[in-house]
Amino acid sequence: MQFSRRTLIKAGAALSLLPSPLHAQPQANILRCGLSAWPPNLQPWVSTGASAGTVKMLTYGRLVGYDKKGELAGEIAESFARDPADGAWVFKLKRNAFFHNGDPVTSEDIKWMIEQIAGEKSTAYMRAQFQMVSKIDTPDPHTVRLHTKEPVATLPHWFGNYNMGVISRKSDAANPIGAGPFKLAGQERGTSLDLVAFDKHHKSGMPKLKGIKFVVYADENLRFAALQSGDMDMIEYVPWQSMETTEKDPRLKLDAEDGPFMDVLFNATQGPFADPRVRRAVAHAVRREDIVKAAFFGRGRALEGVPIVEGTPWYDKELAKGWNYDPERAKALLSQANLAKGFSCKMLATAQFGMHKDTAEVVQQHLAQVGIQCELQLPDWSTRVAMGSRGQYEISIHGVSGDNNDPDGLSVVMDTSLSPTYSRSFGLKAPRTSAAFAKGRAEFDHAKRVEIYKEMQRAALEEVPIIGLAWRSQGYGMDKRVQGFKTLPGALTTASGALLDEVSFG
Amino acid sequence: MRWFFRRIATCLVLAWAVSLVVFMTLHIVPGDPAELLLSTGGIAADPVAVKELRIKLGLERPILDQYLSFLGGVARGDLGTSLVDEFPVTKEIALRLPRTLELILAGTLLAVVLGIPAGTYAALHRGGLFDRIVSGAAALLLAIPVFVVGTLLVLVLAQMLKLMPAGGYVAFAQDPAKHLTLLTLPAIAIAKSLAAVVFRMTRASVLDALSKDFVRTARAKGLAPSRVLLRHVIRNSLTPVVTVLGLHMGTLLGGTVLVEYVFNWPGLSTPLLRAVEARDYPMVVGIVLTISGLFLLINLIMDLVYAALDPRVRAA
Repeated sequence: MQFSRRTLIKAGAALSLLPSPLHAQPQANILRCGLSAWPPNLQPWVSTGASAGTVKMLTYGRLVGYDKKGELAGEIAESFARDPADGAWVFKLKRNAFFHNGDPVTSEDIKWMIEQIAGEKSTAYMRAQFQMVSKIDTPDPHTVRLHTKEPVATLPHWFGNYNMGVISRKSDAANPIGAGPFKLAGQERGTSLDLVAFDKHHKSGMPKLKGIKFVVYADENLRFAALQSGDMDMIEYVPWQSMETTEKDPRLKLDAEDGPFMDVLFNATQGPFADPRVRRAVAHAVRREDIVKAAFFGRGRALEGVPIVEGTPWYDKELAKGWNYDPERAKALLSQANLAKGFSCKMLATAQFGMHKDTAEVVQQHLAQVGIQCELQLPDWSTRVAMGSRGQYEISIHGVSGDNNDPDGLSVVMDTSLSPTYSRSFGLKAPRTSAAFAKGRAEFDHAKRVEIYKEMQRAALEEVPIIGLAWRSQGYGMDKRVQGFKTLPGALTTASGALLDEVSFG
Repeated sequence: MRWFFRRIATCLVLAWAVSLVVFMTLHIVPGDPAELLLSTGGIAADPVAVKELRIKLGLERPILDQYLSFLGGVARGDLGTSLVDEFPVTKEIALRLPRTLELILAGTLLAVVLGIPAGTYAALHRGGLFDRIVSGAAALLLAIPVFVVGTLLVLVLAQMLKLMPAGGYVAFAQDPAKHLTLLTLPAIAIAKSLAAVVFRMTRASVLDALSKDFVRTARAKGLAPSRVLLRHVIRNSLTPVVTVLGLHMGTLLGGTVLVEYVFNWPGLSTPLLRAVEARDYPMVVGIVLTISGLFLLINLIMDLVYAALDPRVRAA
């Protein structure tokens, strides 16, 4: 037998048709899911990112969560409502909710949990919010009544955050006992986490899976390769450049939503950006579509106003265009600020994440068109965070998401009365915007809240605490056999992992 | 003996200098571990919580105090715990270092198996088709960056042909076959440059040996060509190859970052990279100190071997 070149080529092509025993073989009813980051730790209330959040929501459970439309829905709490008599928020716990050690979830556990979160030495993400709770009553094992120092209409959303895991008061620091649909069964440190279904979960028939194997792929291209090659059934954060390939692959499907957004922050302690007219000039100088194309491969949308999610009652079509692309208006505003000849400044972003760098470059180009010359500073992420928190910049590019889809969820980004951090503008005062946030938080009438948040948007368009640039699409890629999953809309995209308890193989 | 103790003392001083430089440099570089940890995912961290965490992690203590505590720990064989999840640094290193060493050894083995026979054959058929093709390929392999080769391997073998897994890790004890499968692609990526170096060194050394008088004498004595090749040519040619191989293996200790990243191989580089990003001081210092220690150890062993071979080294 003779081997010709053609024979070799045919043999090579035939290899790809053979069943490959070298790939990770799926186990019955166990979902293999690619995460983008190894959870730094699984402390239930400390912010450790969305990947850790997914694992925490599934293992600890939450008092309330969100349904597939993004509406608040009871989880361990079967109901929640405000008592008009004394203004307390009342949470009724499910009687069939159990911790993984078999103990029932009681009101005393929830009380203990809130006290830990609000404690003086707490490092919990929701610490400041829960310090507004003045009194916790537990009239029976299944009722929690929360009294707050001021009326808070958005309190149930606090419990929907992925850093609000419910754990037993019998837990020790190293071994939290959760009440989620899955139990942590094992882990290969830095590599993978194995979850198994909790058989006494309070949702009937849930979880549908026998278990989940989370494998960490920090490199987005490798994560996508693992999905495409069949090593994984599902991955989070499909890279934008691979979304089209996912959609076209007959074996795969993509579920994406616009959620997080890119924005511009300012140091308003000195220099031209202390003047709101200059900030508005920046807002009108940038053509957002270029950012969507350059940074997100067209997978996103222009954001020309305050980042209010379209389709929600708070969205206003006109206000959403309040910072539309209008370079002539930008020049006019600069003239009004006596800066008709333009000026130079330093723009802070990071080279560690392509979307930050690409966005910064597009903004730099557009600002140059109206006479603002920006010198880019692109340190690593850690340095960028430090510089941002210390106000060591003039203008900066950031990517962020609200806490939830209620406009109050944007206060973490836009409320300048809060303490300084790298993800809010530095030394900038937007009193009308902050006042509207406070007013909206204290108002319970829906129609009035809608009007208050429209007023907030009008104030923000003038005071410019941030500038919205572009919504970015965030998606999960999965095998078509994976059924029952939905990426949550808007700011909730990062909390979508909680819905893995509804996933099954079709 | 005095010479030996002097070398040991030099190594200890160098190790201390490394720890001091790395520790101090890390603290000078901007970035607060507490703030970074609490703002994972780009969210705003509460400054009060950041302050509390700094106190809890001992970051509010004077830097000299922190350094002396660290040195005290090192003296007891304790490199501290991670600021991120309080995992002991020594345990992390004990877990990860064998994986990196395994990757380096597998890559080196592959490079030797490919490079030495190919180099010998090319030298014996100098100027021939094989020599020209493989020499060209070796130059190409040296020129292409490792991440390009890695990405191409994943693209072709995993994504297009679906012949290999895209990357990852399974412990050998858990599934030996899968472990070796997952080791294959990163080992190839590690081996690609090393194989080219070994090929070129072997080729040059064999060519050099072939022109030596002792080879001509062996042939003149009537020894079989295969015996001349194995006992006189290859044996004498391998000394420089082994020296270069040793040097490259040392370099690979800190140079597997890209390969481990591209193939999701959880060796020592991954936590080092993550620790630098998170400003996890004890983890960074511990890992760098370990790598430096291994370098120093290799150098010490080489010095001792040279000294054993050549008394003039000891006298110097």
